[in-house]
Amino acid sequence: MRASSLLAPRPRTLGSEPEPEWRGYHFSLTAAITVAAGGFCALVQGPLWNTDTALAGANLAVSVLFVFTGLMLRREPGQHVVGWALVAAGVLRCLDFADAWNAAPCGIYVLIFGAADRLFGAWALLRYPNSSLLRYQRVYLVLLTCWMLGGRVLIAVTSLPQWDGDPASAWWPSLIPNPGLNEVINYVVNTGLGLFGAALLVLLVMRLLRTTTLDRIVITPIIVAGLAAVVAAVASAVVQTLSSLNGTPNNVYIVESAVDLAVPLAFFVAVIQRTLLLRNITALTAQISGGADIGAVRYALRSTLHDPTLELLDLSAPTPDTAGPADEADRLVEFIRTEEGTPIAVVIADPALGRYRGLFDAAVQTSGLALKNAQIQAQAAREKLEQVRASRVRILEAGLAERRRIERDLHDGVQQHLLGLAAQLTVAIAGTADEQARGALAQVSDGLREVLAELRDLAHGIHPAVLSQGGLAAALEDVAERLPLPVRVTAPATRVAAAVEATAYFVACEALANVVKHAHASSATVTVRVEESKLDLQIADDGVGGIDSRGHGLANITDRVNALDGELTIVSPPGLGTRVEVRIPCG
Amino acid sequence: MRLAIAEDSGLFRSSLTMLLQASGVEVTASAASGPELLEAIGTGAPDAVIVDIRMPPTFTDEGINTAAELRRLYPHVGVLVLSTYAETSYASQLLETVHTGVGYLLKDNVTDARTLMDSLARVAAGETVIDPTIVRRLLERNRRPSKIDMLNDRERAVLGHMAEGRSNMGIAKDLFLSPRTVEAHVTSIFVKLGLDQAETDNNRVRAVLAFLRSAGAGSLCCAHLTGLI
Repeated sequence: MRASSLLAPRPRTLGSEPEPEWRGYHFSLTAAITVAAGGFCALVQGPLWNTDTALAGANLAVSVLFVFTGLMLRREPGQHVVGWALVAAGVLRCLDFADAWNAAPCGIYVLIFGAADRLFGAWALLRYPNSSLLRYQRVYLVLLTCWMLGGRVLIAVTSLPQWDGDPASAWWPSLIPNPGLNEVINYVVNTGLGLFGAALLVLLVMRLLRTTTLDRIVITPIIVAGLAAVVAAVASAVVQTLSSLNGTPNNVYIVESAVDLAVPLAFFVAVIQRTLLLRNITALTAQISGGADIGAVRYALRSTLHDPTLELLDLSAPTPDTAGPADEADRLVEFIRTEEGTPIAVVIADPALGRYRGLFDAAVQTSGLALKNAQIQAQAAREKLEQVRASRVRILEAGLAERRRIERDLHDGVQQHLLGLAAQLTVAIAGTADEQARGALAQVSDGLREVLAELRDLAHGIHPAVLSQGGLAAALEDVAERLPLPVRVTAPATRVAAAVEATAYFVACEALANVVKHAHASSATVTVRVEESKLDLQIADDGVGGIDSRGHGLANITDRVNALDGELTIVSPPGLGTRVEVRIPCG
Repeated sequence: MRLAIAEDSGLFRSSLTMLLQASGVEVTASAASGPELLEAIGTGAPDAVIVDIRMPPTFTDEGINTAAELRRLYPHVGVLVLSTYAETSYASQLLETVHTGVGYLLKDNVTDARTLMDSLARVAAGETVIDPTIVRRLLERNRRPSKIDMLNDRERAVLGHMAEGRSNMGIAKDLFLSPRTVEAHVTSIFVKLGLDQAETDNNRVRAVLAFLRSAGAGSLCCAHLTGLI
C-alpha cells in the first residue's frame, strides 16, 4: 500500500489523507470513543458476566467491532451517517442484554427497544456506500421501525413483567394484561418481523445485483455478511418464539453474535478494500506506462476500474463509427488532453465510478500519460525510420557517385594514358628496322590491346557510361547484346533519377546473369515501364524456374531496391521460368 | 591526307598526332573540344576529321554532336569518331545522326595503324565504318529474330564486312570471292532487307544500320528505319 501511494498519482478524494496532526486527532478520537463504548457495553451487561461469560464476551466483541468500524467509516466521504449508524448499532447491541440486571427500567426497555440495533444495522446495510437511501428502502425502514416498536409496545401493554421473567414489582405498562391476547400479538409481531427479515434479504440481493464496477467488489462482502446476519436473526427469533420466553438457550444468542460479527468485519474489509483499490493504479501504471495503443489502454482501464462498459475513444483520429451508448448523458465523461489542452481521447464510464473519483481520475491520468508516451514514441519511431531511409538513399547515391567517379577516372586517366602509350608504341614499331625488335614490340602491343580491352570491361562493369548518357534503355540493350541468348528489351527512352536507373540496371544485370547461369532458358525479356511516379521492371525467362529467391546474389539487389523504398518479387515455379519484378518509386 | 583532330586528352592527342604523322597524314588542326575544332578548321576543310566521343563540356557523347555539326558544315569531309565504349548504341546513334562518310572506331585501334588508316580513307571516301570488334560481337551473338535472320551465312559475312566499311572489291579479296559474286550477295542482302534497289549508296548504310539495330538498341529508333527491324 505504501509503495502504491508513492508511485501512483494522488487521487483527490479517496486518498485525501489528512494532515498528520489531524490523523493523530482522529486516531485519538476513535480510540477514546471505542474505549468508552466498550466500557459502557461491558458495564451494561453487568450480571450477565457472571451467569454467561461467553455470551457477554461475544456481545462485547460485536459491539466494540461495530463501534470501531463505524468510527472508521465515518471518515469516508459521504459515509459518516452510516458510520454513526454502526456505532449506534454497536452500543445498542449490548443494551439488548441490560435485562440481566433485573432492575426496574431494564426489562421493559429491552422488551420494547431490544432490537433497535437491527434497525441501525439494516439502515447501514442498505445505504453503504451510497450517499442516500432509495425511496423504497426508506419506506421499508420506516415500516420496519413502526412494526417493531409498535408491536413490542402492544406486547408490553398486554403482558405482566413476570411473563417476561422480570420481577412482579418492576414498572410495566400493563394496561390490559391478557395471556391469550398477548400470545396472539406476540405471534403476529414476530411473524411480521420474520417477513420483514425476508424482505430485507430480497432488498440486499437487489442491491448486490444493481451495483456495478468497483461498487460490487466493495459491497459484496457486506451484503453477504448482511444476508447471514438477517438469516441468523430470523432463525434466532424463530427459536425464541418456539421456546418459551424464559427458556431461550443463551447459545442461540452466542451463535447470532458470532454471525453478527461478520457485519462489522465486512464493513471493515470494505473500508480497507476501497483504500486498497489504489493498488490497481500501480498495476495499471506498470501495464501501460511504457506507452500503449488505445486498445491496450482501454483494456487496462476496463480491468482496473472493473467497468466492462467503459469506453475510451481516440479523438486524434476521427472515428465516426463509435457513437457510444444511448444513455451517454448519464455516464461519467472525462477528456484526456495534451499539455496544450487539445483533447486526444475521451473516457466514458459507468457513473458508479463517480464514487471512486480519486481512483478514476488517477486511472484516467495514467492512461493519458501512456497515450501521450505512445504518441511521442510513434513520432520518434517515424522520424527515426525516415532518417534511416534517407541515409540509406544517401549511401546508395554516394556509392553510385563513387562508381561513376572511378569509371570517369579510369576513362580519363589510365585508359587515355595507356592509349597514348599504345599509339607511341605503334609509331615505334613502324620505325624499327630490326625484325626481331619489331616482333617483340608487336607482342607488347598485342598485350597492351588485351589490357585495354580488359580495362574497358572493368570500367563498364563499375559503371557503364552508356547508363548515364543513354539511359536505362540504351544500357539494357547493350547488356542484352553481350548475352549468349536472345533477350528482347522493351524500355522507354524516358529518363528517371540516376539512383533509380542504376538500381534498375544492376537488378536487371544480376537477374540476367542468373538467367544465363541457372535458368537454361532459350530466350528472355526485359520490360521497363515508367508510369506516373514509379518504375516497373520485369525480367522474365522461359527456363527451368525453381530459383531460390534468397540465393544467387538476389539478396544484394533486394537491399538496393529496398533502399529506394521499392519492392522486388521473384516468381519462379519449377518448370515455368522465372520472373523477377521490381517496382521502384521515382517521383 | 589532311586531317583535323578533336581530342580532350592531351597525351592521347599528341601520341595520336605523332602516329598519324608517321603514317603520312598531315594534321592541319587539333583541338580539345568540338567547338574549338570547328573554329580551328575554319575554311581549310580537311579530308577527314577524328573526333573523340567524350569531350567537354558534357563529357558524354559530345563527339556525336560534333560529327553532326561537321557534316552540316562540311558535307564531304569524312568523320571518324574514336571511342573507348564498345557499346553498339553509340555506333547506332552516330549512324542515325550522320548517314554517310562516318565511322565509329575503338581507340584500341591505335595499336593497328593499318585499320586506322583504312578507316580514315573509307570515311573520307564517303563510306561507313563500324569497329571490327563490335561487328564481330554482333555476328557471333544470339540475336532476337529479325530480318537479318533471312540472310544466309555468306550474306551475313558480306554484311559484316560492309559494316566494317569494306568496298565490294575489298570484301571479295577478304572472302576469296569474285567481285561479281560479292555484288550478287549485296543485291540479295538489299532485297532480303527490303531496301530500294535504286539507292545503292544509301542502301549500304541502311543495311549496316539494320545490322546494328538487329543487335538491339530498339529504343533509339527513328521512324524511317523501323521498317527494317
